[in-house]
Amino acid sequence: MPMECCRVNLPPPTAGRREITGLSVIEDQALSMIAALASELAVARERIDTLERLLDANGTLPRAQVEAYRAEGEAAQQREGLRHSLIAKVFRPLRDASRRALEG
Amino acid sequence: MSTPSLTHPMLPEASHDEMAQQLFIRDLKMWLGGEIEPLQGEIARKLDPGPSHNDRDAEAFARLHEEPAFRSWAGMFRASQEIMWDDIWRSVERQADALDARADAVSLGSLKLDPDFKAPAYLVDGHVHIMPGGYDLDAPGVKQGAMMDRGGAVYMLGRNGGFLNDGRGKTVLAHVYALYPDLAPRRILELGCGVGTSLLPLAQAFPEAESYGLDVGSSMLRYAHARAGHLGVAAHFVQGSAEQAPFEDGSFDLVFSAALMHETSAEAIERILAESHRLLRPGGVAVHLEVPSRYDELDLWSQIRSQVERDYNNEPAWQAATSADYAALMRTAGFKDVAVGFQDAAWAPAPGQGGFGSESKGVFRSWFVTSARR
Ligand SMILES: C[S@@+](CC[C@H](N)C(=O)[O-])C[C@H]1O[C@@H](n2cnc3c(N)ncnc32)[C@H](O)[C@@H]1O
Repeated sequence: MPMECCRVNLPPPTAGRREITGLSVIEDQALSMIAALASELAVARERIDTLERLLDANGTLPRAQVEAYRAEGEAAQQREGLRHSLIAKVFRPLRDASRRALEG
Repeated sequence: MSTPSLTHPMLPEASHDEMAQQLFIRDLKMWLGGEIEPLQGEIARKLDPGPSHNDRDAEAFARLHEEPAFRSWAGMFRASQEIMWDDIWRSVERQADALDARADAVSLGSLKLDPDFKAPAYLVDGHVHIMPGGYDLDAPGVKQGAMMDRGGAVYMLGRNGGFLNDGRGKTVLAHVYALYPDLAPRRILELGCGVGTSLLPLAQAFPEAESYGLDVGSSMLRYAHARAGHLGVAAHFVQGSAEQAPFEDGSFDLVFSAALMHETSAEAIERILAESHRLLRPGGVAVHLEVPSRYDELDLWSQIRSQVERDYNNEPAWQAATSADYAALMRTAGFKDVAVGFQDAAWAPAPGQGGFGSESKGVFRSWFVTSARR
């Protein structure tokens, strides 16, 4: 699936990244993916928190309306973009490892 | 970081979500450092081969790698650093055009790039702090400098002067006031100026002086020049190596470096000290500031911690820079009355404050300094 919606330039490669003795390459990637996931979750929760506080302060969004909402059209497309960049972020170590394997 | 009072116009901004990312990674780093690292220290003490072992720190470091709890901490330590750069790189990339436009909007001082310049191998082969692309990357516009500046502020966790990150420069200034109160420099040079965070406090304290910053990367220097201009400082930024600075003998009154040595090599440290001597006019002053730890005086865990920095955060000469005998090296470089000690971290340096002594008050409270008059 080509992610045309959210193609960004890749960051430049990092020279001189050593393996951590005894840590398997795949464990290394897994740790990084977990940390990135936690970051995404923290960002999402902060955003929800912002929204809830603003909505509350302005006094007008019934909860039921949120529950009943379904994204369509452009909104659905934008959500796809969000999901794709989330995937690119969390699973970055897979891409980085492949780039390193190709360079080395 | 949530209320950046100490900031400047060139700093890349953070959107709502980018700010959340950066605060998350800062807090993850603090948690790893504050909660998990002390446990690593306990594990290290259990694995200590004892003072009679002739390679005690290296042996303990090797033994730690057999312990999964250490490996997962080390892996997460580096993951947090890589994620930080990835977050910041994305954020800078998003606003690269706006940053370049802002950079073009001012022009104070000057910028002199050398298209034929080759950075030293220790910066090219291992990117310090595992920053993608490294210090010398010729990224288009000001991108690499923007990444370094924003990353430095997040990395320093706000302990070094917020987004201005100028604690080291202010401490160099405090040292000049403390030991060379009569110095009224007309030409100042910082070796390894980065984005200019440390040069600006000196340039601002001596507005009559011409202030120069020397470093290796073109994108970094374009950013440094724009950053200084937006802060109202007319400084001159030059591309070149501190080991062979493109300036004439005796052409400066004050030559300094701040946190440069530990990112070079044992041989480079000697050459840079000699350069600082060559560049000074007789009576001029050299000041070199470094991290406050002295390797031999560190406890076992702190020694191991610096090996972690060396191997997994690409701080190539951390051990060399914190073990060097600076008094001897400065004398070899040609200086006579050499001061070696610790300068209190200064936030509002002024003449008459002193603050230089033989004891370190600890990280971010003191900096190691060696200085001398030519
Ligand atoms: C930790 S940064 C410190 C930057 C600045 N002095 C400060 O206090 O913020 C170290 C800087 O030294 C520079 N550097 C390392 N080796 C160098 C060399 N041989 N010549 C010039 N700059 C060098 C790096 O490019 C980097 O910008």
